[in-house]
Amino acid sequence: MGTFARFVVYMFIAICVIVMAIILGAYGSWYFAWLIGTVMMVLIAAAGAAMLDTQEEERRRSGGS
Amino acid sequence: MIDNTVVELSRWQFAATALYHFLFVPLTLGLSFLLAAMETVYVTTGRDIYRRMAQFWGKLFLINFALGVATGLTMEFQFGTNWSFYSSFVGDTFGAPLAIEGLMAFFMESTFVGLMVFGWERMSKAQHLIVTYLVALGSNLSAVWILVANGFMQDPQGARFNPLTMRMELTNFSDLIFNADAQSKFVHTSIAGYVTAAMFVGGISAFYMLKNRHMEIARRSFRMAALFGVLATAGVITLGDALGFIGGQAQPTKLAAMEALWKTEPAPVAFNVVAAPSQSERANLWQIQVPAGLSLLVTHSLDGTVPGADDLEKQAAERIRNGIPAVVALKRLAQDPSDAQAMAQFTAHEKDLGYGFLVQRYAPDQDASKSTPDAILQAARGTIPQVAPIFWSFRIMVGLGLLMLGYFILAVIYTLRNQVEHQRGFLRLALWSIPVPFIACEMGWLVAEIGRQPWTVYQVLPTWMSASTHSVAYMVFSLTGFVVLYSIFIAIEMYLMVRAVRAGPDADGPDAAGPQGEVAAVRAAPAPAGRLASRWEG
Amino acid sequence: METYLLLKVAWWVLLGVLLMGLAVMVGMDMGVGTMLRYVGRTDTERRVALNIVGPHWDGNQVWFILGGGAIFAAWPLIYATAFSGFYVVMLLLLWTMIVRPLGFEYRSKLASAQWRGAWDWAFFVSGFVPMLVFGAAVGNILQGVPFHFDWNLTSRYTGSFVALLNPFAILCGLLSVAMSIYMGATMVMNRGEGVIRERARRLALWSGIGALLLFTVGGFWVSRMQGYHLVRGPDPATAQTPLRQIVERSTGDWLVNFRGHAILWLVPASAYAGLLPGLVAARRGASHLAWWLGALAWIGIIGTVGTAMFPFMMPSSSEPSHSLTVWNSSSSEYTLAWMTGFTAVFMPLILWYTSWAFWVMRGKVSAQRIESDEHAY
Repeated sequence: MGTFARFVVYMFIAICVIVMAIILGAYGSWYFAWLIGTVMMVLIAAAGAAMLDTQEEERRRSGGS
Repeated sequence: MIDNTVVELSRWQFAATALYHFLFVPLTLGLSFLLAAMETVYVTTGRDIYRRMAQFWGKLFLINFALGVATGLTMEFQFGTNWSFYSSFVGDTFGAPLAIEGLMAFFMESTFVGLMVFGWERMSKAQHLIVTYLVALGSNLSAVWILVANGFMQDPQGARFNPLTMRMELTNFSDLIFNADAQSKFVHTSIAGYVTAAMFVGGISAFYMLKNRHMEIARRSFRMAALFGVLATAGVITLGDALGFIGGQAQPTKLAAMEALWKTEPAPVAFNVVAAPSQSERANLWQIQVPAGLSLLVTHSLDGTVPGADDLEKQAAERIRNGIPAVVALKRLAQDPSDAQAMAQFTAHEKDLGYGFLVQRYAPDQDASKSTPDAILQAARGTIPQVAPIFWSFRIMVGLGLLMLGYFILAVIYTLRNQVEHQRGFLRLALWSIPVPFIACEMGWLVAEIGRQPWTVYQVLPTWMSASTHSVAYMVFSLTGFVVLYSIFIAIEMYLMVRAVRAGPDADGPDAAGPQGEVAAVRAAPAPAGRLASRWEG
Repeated sequence: METYLLLKVAWWVLLGVLLMGLAVMVGMDMGVGTMLRYVGRTDTERRVALNIVGPHWDGNQVWFILGGGAIFAAWPLIYATAFSGFYVVMLLLLWTMIVRPLGFEYRSKLASAQWRGAWDWAFFVSGFVPMLVFGAAVGNILQGVPFHFDWNLTSRYTGSFVALLNPFAILCGLLSVAMSIYMGATMVMNRGEGVIRERARRLALWSGIGALLLFTVGGFWVSRMQGYHLVRGPDPATAQTPLRQIVERSTGDWLVNFRGHAILWLVPASAYAGLLPGLVAARRGASHLAWWLGALAWIGIIGTVGTAMFPFMMPSSSEPSHSLTVWNSSSSEYTLAWMTGFTAVFMPLILWYTSWAFWVMRGKVSAQRIESDEHAY
């Protein structure tokens, strides 16, 4: 997929998530949402970094050998 | 008699010092969690590069943190020094969250920040990680209590005016902290801080990638910032909508100003994308509209409608007329608290007391009982805040928020492919976008606080009454002092920040050997901190 | 309604505890700042002194912030009246105080001698001036401050800025500076070595003797100055404003509480019980003991002011009947009850993790360690 196509797809997903959160938010308790959301963001960011390590490892193996 | 010039100068001073303080706060809120995320990776994978990442960004965190702490002191002082009537009038309710903030959050953050910096070699890895999380949690808990206090100003819940002590008194603590405005505003603000930190880390990492320096740290930092940022931006937009929804119901005058809605219209109401609002004409000189947009955005339905400034002014005039007897009765109660007739009159008009206060500014001798129809009209008009600055700050904030969403989605795409370092144009954009979230945060503050005018506590206490009774000379003195001091501070801070960024992660570390050194460091098995840590444990 | 009375008194005590915490902890850091240029002659020596309090200055400073927050929440009328009345002085306090966090973080970021020299002067100013103002404010409150209220409790200060710098206030200011130097010096003795420790010891002796003399002179002064007494007022257990009482002033009023309850003399006595053995301990190099005795002396000094004035908190010299007392300026019963709950939970926690932080960072701070540690200030 080209960058533009991906951008459109991801943008679409992001907007869907936001709209859903807005609908849910009318019922929700925000302090709790903050706690869950923050934990999730931290973990996803950490997982992203760990994934980069794996990608690097793979790149080195395929490029190096 | 209240001097308008003193009130105006006090407002300028508060706005200037608060906006300045708020330049440093969002980065602290967000970067603390990013540091914790980096350290989490270090502790779970044991790769030393993540320790060096956390330490490098920690260094920048501290340069910013120092100024945040310093300028926060000003805020704590200023309610008392410059807004003394406000402080005694609502201190019973407003002071409590500020004191609890100190007890519960600021103490924790400040004590552990010292350990976070100095304790790398004196604690086990897990202990240090917990300390870092406590710093992040502490700084965000601070924000909770500050915004609970601010939520009370926006939508005073959980307190009631007591005519015998002449102040607002807390009646329900849980109403105060679970105030919908406080909740949504806290999450919105805290996550806006995450976005700020993500843009900051992403931008500086992009700078290194452009220069081909510290690639290992830069790519990892960028990846983490991008993922953190894209989620945070989505959260900020969601919460921004929630806040608009909640705020629109609690503060219709702010909503009318944000949307430049001068006249009430039948549903569905059109949305003004851009417009030229004129306060004196009470109309927009021109506007570009999206049909039915406002009904959808604000009420989440097609048949919802929103009151315009014209209706709100009429309601305000009505409430002012009803509030004047409350002020008159209150004055009699001050003379004689046992005056039953005055008490009865007060109780009957109690709910519009704030509006009775409001008209004093325009009444002859600043005496509400002498209010003329003209004074009431002026006061009613005054309940609509300055539309143009609110309308535009709001649009700039939202526009920048949407741009950042697009930016982060692109960033995620590039970084997940692990080829962001080849997108030179994008990296340049990332670098130059560092100021964007800061501007958006400042705009958000302006919308919230100008939008609440002419009140310090919405519909309860007018701004005009809240200020201390200083002379103009005192105000000029303090304003000058703040401008001089704060200008020096920002110059020093920017200089040190830029210098630390240019020096990079290895500035004073042992292995300033560039990319190769970093790879070697990644592979170096037992980290020095780890070795010391095991010594402490054993 | 007796609970309300108890809560008012409890928050009067708690405010005292916070002021003592502020004086001991922030005072110590500010003392180190004041004496920095003396105790350290070379850059490395100064860095050693800074790093002794370095890991803790931020946590300690929260005592100050918490003190402000507690006055705001529990004594809103006093917060409003004192902070706005003392406007110019408060700004001096604020402007000098906010330089200090920057000093710690920024001083050693550049190697330039001029840069560091400038920050060392900033440390002096941001240690000396706030402690002077802190003491002078208490001195002015003891004498009464010219303010009154309008019908709706708008406070109006009618004095001048210069009047706040009267001889008695300056004496109190110097007492607080001397105590802060004593506390800072004993802390530097604790964690410093060699020449630094020796200079700090000398400073601790001189400042301790100074504090002893100033406290004694101040005590005699207070016994001869005009104090205030409550002639008539509403029932202390009820909610009230300062507009419905009668207060008069006469010489020696600040001794009335001591005369009524002889046991209260123990409060000023504990200032001596702290300082006299503290001097001996400092001389012998028992710096830990000297520090704790200094803390006891602070408790005695602040306790003496509180005991002498009770139930007054901020008397008005121009309109004595508008004086602020424990009875008429507290928050509502409901707020005080909630605040008490939070304090009961979090204050022990704070003391626990503060002690833990000091324990983690224990041990001597040496020149070698600072030069090899990239995180040091």
